Parts: sequence; structure tokens; C-alpha cells
Amino acid sequence: MDQHMVSGHAPTPPAARMENHGPTMAKIAMRTGADLLARTGSMVAYEGFVQYESNPAALRSVASQWLSGESVPLMRCHGDGILYLADYGAHVVCVPLNDENLSVNATNVLAFDAQLEWGVQRVKGMAKFTGQGLFNFGLSGTGWVAVTSRGVPVVIDCARAGEIFVDPDALVAWSTGLEMKGKRSFKASSLIGRGSGEAYQLAFSGEGFVVVQPSEDSTERLTEQQHQQQA
Amino acid sequence: MVRHFQRGQKARLGDLTLGTDLYVGVSISGPGMTFDISCFGLDADERLSDDRYFIFYNQHASPEESLQLLGPQAGDTESFRITLDRVPQAIDRLSFTATIDGDGTMAQAAPGYLRIVAGGEEVARYAFDGSEFSTERAVMLGDFYRKDGWRFAAVGQGFDGGLEALLTHFGGEVAEEEAPPAPEPPAVPAPAPAVPGFAPPPGPGPVPAPAPAPPAAPVAQPAPSAPPPAAPPSQPAPPVQPTPPPAPVAAPVAAPAPVAPPQPVPAPVAPPVPAPVPPPAAVPPQAAAPPPGPPMAAEPLPAPPAGGVRTALDAFGTLGEAAGRWSLQNPQLVRVDLAADEGRPIMARLGSMVLYQGDVDFAYKGGGIKRRIVSGMTGEGFGSLMRVSGTGQVYLAEEATRLHPVELQGDALCVASQHVLAFDETLEHEVRRIDGHGIPGGSLYALQFHGHGTVVVTTHGEPLVLPVTPMTFTDANATIAWSAAAQVLVAHQVRLRRHAYPGDSGETTQLQFRGAPGNFVIVQPYEI
Repeated sequence: MDQHMVSGHAPTPPAARMENHGPTMAKIAMRTGADLLARTGSMVAYEGFVQYESNPAALRSVASQWLSGESVPLMRCHGDGILYLADYGAHVVCVPLNDENLSVNATNVLAFDAQLEWGVQRVKGMAKFTGQGLFNFGLSGTGWVAVTSRGVPVVIDCARAGEIFVDPDALVAWSTGLEMKGKRSFKASSLIGRGSGEAYQLAFSGEGFVVVQPSEDSTERLTEQQHQQQA
Repeated sequence: MVRHFQRGQKARLGDLTLGTDLYVGVSISGPGMTFDISCFGLDADERLSDDRYFIFYNQHASPEESLQLLGPQAGDTESFRITLDRVPQAIDRLSFTATIDGDGTMAQAAPGYLRIVAGGEEVARYAFDGSEFSTERAVMLGDFYRKDGWRFAAVGQGFDGGLEALLTHFGGEVAEEEAPPAPEPPAVPAPAPAVPGFAPPPGPGPVPAPAPAPPAAPVAQPAPSAPPPAAPPSQPAPPVQPTPPPAPVAAPVAAPAPVAPPQPVPAPVAPPVPAPVPPPAAVPPQAAAPPPGPPMAAEPLPAPPAGGVRTALDAFGTLGEAAGRWSLQNPQLVRVDLAADEGRPIMARLGSMVLYQGDVDFAYKGGGIKRRIVSGMTGEGFGSLMRVSGTGQVYLAEEATRLHPVELQGDALCVASQHVLAFDETLEHEVRRIDGHGIPGGSLYALQFHGHGTVVVTTHGEPLVLPVTPMTFTDANATIAWSAAAQVLVAHQVRLRRHAYPGDSGETTQLQFRGAPGNFVIVQPYEI
């Protein structure tokens, strides 16, 4: 076999806890004592000795408010080695938190350090309009987070840009501390018929940033797959 | 979209990307060979008049940090961060070179490349191969140079002699002063240069299998299964610090991170196993090297880049002050400045807005347009449109497909209806329907645009633009758009043995395009 064809894709030695291997795969250096919480079903490969505990009991109570509690779409990974994660070809961004806060759309969380403080939040006011509501992971502390984005994301600095309006389906993450409110942009008359489009947006303003993906696709792929397997 | 360069090819950087904060990665390797990859900042006479702009393994950044060496990452042997709008005017040309450290000639080099990445997306790649060279010991890979703005040229020119000779070539007298630091590696091939603090990570890039070197390691390695992490044999790879201290306000892309002051950050990595080293790990790069001997076993991972969240996200750029009415924020996100051109409204696919700023009004478009378009459409292709008006900026995207704003200047274009994202309201458009037995869904609907204005076309993947010849056939599912003067026919292929194998639902119906030279058809590498 012509090794040249494939050798360019070999992994580089890890230089940080989380890195990208190409734009759509996260490479995580696992160490004993530094556990990781990752989306169930996101593992594509691992080297070394890594173990997975799905639906860990300790997480159930945290996430019970989110789902009806039957299973948590997170697994706890521990061990020594290198872990590769991906989510159906979505772009992956590895973000180090340095005693910072980040709020990430639940479907866009790929993995995060277990030592981070986290909780599931319901985004205020959203349920009223969209039906299913918008759930978010609030993460804070010092550690790494891997976030997925369908397509190359764009980062908006609200302090510079002023008030911006974002389609909730395209929203990936934002720094907590931003002022957020809902906005209806369609007049009632235009909602008649097929008026599903841009009926509702979230307005952000203040000091901080917002990450937006170039897609309104907020479908849950990893968990869907898992459910299909169970069925 | 990745643009592939041939040796000698040149292009304006502005045509590749609007960004000026670029990542340049070089991948080059060869059996048993080590390469030094450097960047020379040359003046208008192509001389290295200021040796602070010679970026190499001993000098990781230029004074104002517009040129930075980042080290191996993401499959590249060496990588640079180039902030073009901060490069001083005196620097006219940035030349990227690779030189062999040790034995070997360029002819032995394996296929490699130089690539330009902007906003997290590769925009250009120049691939080369050892067979293009002979006994040269160095190669000038590519140049960024100023000529009405920055341009990129794929050079691919071999050069006799190593780094030292190259320096002399560029530097003239300066090379004399430069001599002490530079020639060191060529002179001492075998032992690594005695500058541990700066040494490029010893692993010669990604090519050799990242062998965990198990025979050597067991001495101190606790978990025999722990694989490559132990690979860096001498020291932790110097933590890459991709972002400099906050840029002056001038640089819009790398905005200062107000959230996180850029002081060195303690490693957020959870307490590593061999706890003895936590404090040193928090100290920046060089200082981290000293921790002696034993910790190599399960050595703590180097600290992540300082700066926290913003640093990591800066790579994706922030909203730019884009020029013009239609511009690409990144290949998958188009920005429309409604205020330009007297606030003419646009039509966009319902639901395609991901973000907007300023005063923008969205109206569900019923009435005339709706009747003309929707009546002819089967529901799946073209749902419906919204009319976007106001004075703000709107960002449109569609399922992370690639977007291509096409500006029409009096000409006409047909676009398959499901590939229209948005267009200027001033464009005249009408529905064309192509019927034919065998076309999926019965018929293919296209919108024919003509007039003056822009239409944004979506494609899954990088499109192919085919000139229309007497024998041009496409798959109806992959056809995106064609010049309106081309005639479209539905072609059936008669297969004598069409039932020869099961599941032959295959390629029996195509679209045939005919027309005068100059017509084209656009095809995507994806069949819906």
C-alpha cells in the first residue's frame, strides 16, 4: 500500500488535553484522575486503556429535569490513553475555560472535563414559543470543553457588534453574563399558513460573545442513533 | 473551498479569503529526514534586511508578532500564524522555505503540501512531491507578496545548499551577523541543537507512525498501555501559544479578549498522576522543560494556550467589516448588508437566517411571488420565500452547505430551485420546469434569474463547473445551475443489459446540456 496516501492523517503527539485532529474530530489525552464526560455514542476510536460508563448514576439527578430521567446522553470516560470523538462530521471546537463560564446548547456539547461545574439550564422564555424549549449546558470553572458546530462557526463579540439577533436553532454557545431576551420578528398576519421561518429569535447584548453555526440543523444525531439501536 | 495551486501559480489572497489572520501549515517529510521550515520576511529587494523577520526554530515570532511559528499541529509538520494587516510596510514578501537538516536530498522527500487556512477552513493548498526536485537540499515553497494587496504564489523552487546557503541568498551581509544562531543545525546534524527551550518538537511531524517507543519507555512508564502520549521523548512539546497578547485595536479579527487577561494560565488539565510537578506546569513554555528525569513517565500535558475561551474561538474570526453588499463570512455563511445599495430588499429562503444585526424586517412572501413560485413547486424543493428589508446586516446559511454568491450583470442563470438560498429582489426570475420520464420526482424545477444583482447558490461540497460541449451529461440530482442559454434535454441511456445485475436503478436518466461555447453547467459532488 502506498503509505503516502494515508500517512498525512496520522495523529500528532498530543500537546494539550484537547486538540483537533482535522476540523471534525476531537483528540483528548486521557489521564487517570482526569475524567471526561462525553456524549454517548461520540467515541470513534481510542488508544490505550479507556473505560466508559454510560448513564452514570451520579449524573441522573442533574439531568432529570432535562429528559424524563430514563437515561442521560452522557458517558463518563476514565483511564489512560487517547480518545477520539466526533459527531457525524460536525466541526469540533476545543475550548479551554480559564475560570470562565460558557453556556452551550445541549446538542452541541461533545465532551467536557468532569471537574467542571455544570448543570442543565432551561433557556428562559424559549418554551413559550417553540414548543420543545431550548436546553443548555452551563459550564464553569477551569478545564476543557469540546463543542460541535454544523459548519464553520462564527464568533460574535457583542461588546463590539452591539445587539444581535440569533436564530435559536443556529445558536451554539454564549458566554454567560450576556443579556438575553426573546424577540418575535414576524407579524401575526404572516404566521398564518406556513409561517414557521424566522418567527422567533434571541437577542443578545452586553459584554461577551456568541457562537453561531451556519445551519439551522439542531437535530440530535448521537442520541437518535442510540435510541434506534435500543429499539 | 480549497483552491489547489500548481507550481508557479499565483493568486490574490483576497480572492481566496477575506481574512487577514491566516494559518499557514507545511507538511513535508521523508524517510529518516528532518526538515526545518522557516519564514523569511523580505524587503522589496527580496533581501532579509531585518533579521528579526526571519522566523525559524530559534525565533518564534517577529517583534510585533504578526509572524509566529506555532509548531507541528493538525497534521502539519510546521505551522505559522500570519497576521497580514500587521506586517510592517517594510516587509514586502514572506517566503516559506523548507531545508533538510541532516542527510538527504529533496528528491527523497515524500509528497507534502503548503496550505493556507482562514477562519478554520482550508482555502488554498499547494501540493508538491520529491520527484519535482533533484539533489537540492532546500526548497522555497511559497511566497506571500504585496502587489495591490497581498498575493500568494506557489513557488516550489529547489535550492542547493541548506538553511545557511538560503540565508546567504536572501540576506547578503546580514547573514554574517546572523551566522551565530542560524547555521547551528546544518553544522550539527546528528545531535539535536543544544537549545532545548526552543527546539521544535523532535517528532518529525506526523508521518512516521507515532510509535510509543515501548522498548525504551518501560523504565519509567507506569501504565504499559499508555500509548503515544509518552512520545515526546525529550520534553513536553512547547505549548503552542496561538494568540499573542491582545492585538492593538487595529486588528479586527484578533480582537482583544476582554474576558480573559492573557497571563499564563495554570493548566486546567486535572491533576496529573505524578503530582510532583504542578507548579512548574503552570509556568510558561521554556520554564516547564527543567523538571528533571522521572516525570517523563506520565508527564503532565503541557498547559493549554493562555487566554481561555476567547483565544480558542478567535481562530474562527468575528464578524468582519466585510466589503460590499454580498460577502462570505466563511464558506458556509453569507452576509448581506442591506444598507448598501439604498436598502434594496432581498428574497431569501424561509428559515435561512441564522443571525442579524440592526433594523431588519422579515416578511413572509405571499401574493404574487408566492403564486408564481410555489404554485409550480412541489413542496420539497422550494418551500417559500421571505422578503428581507431594512438597514441592518443579515447572515444567511443553509444546513452548512457551501454558499456561492453569483453576481449577474445582465446575463441569465438557471438554478435548481432547492439550491437557491437568496437573491436580490431586483433580479427577475421565473420558474422553468424540466419534465422527463425518469427524473426523480417527475420533474426538475429551476429558477431562471436575469438582470443585475446577486443570487446565492448552495452546494454540498466543492462544485464542478463544466463547460457545455456537444456531449455534456449530468445527473439530475447533482445538477445545481447552468447558464440559461444552454438547452436542457433529458437523455435516456439504452442499456442492453440493464437487468444484468440486481438493483440496477442506476444511471439511466441524465440531463444533457447543449449550447454554444461559453455555456456552463455546475454540478455538486452530492446526489440528494
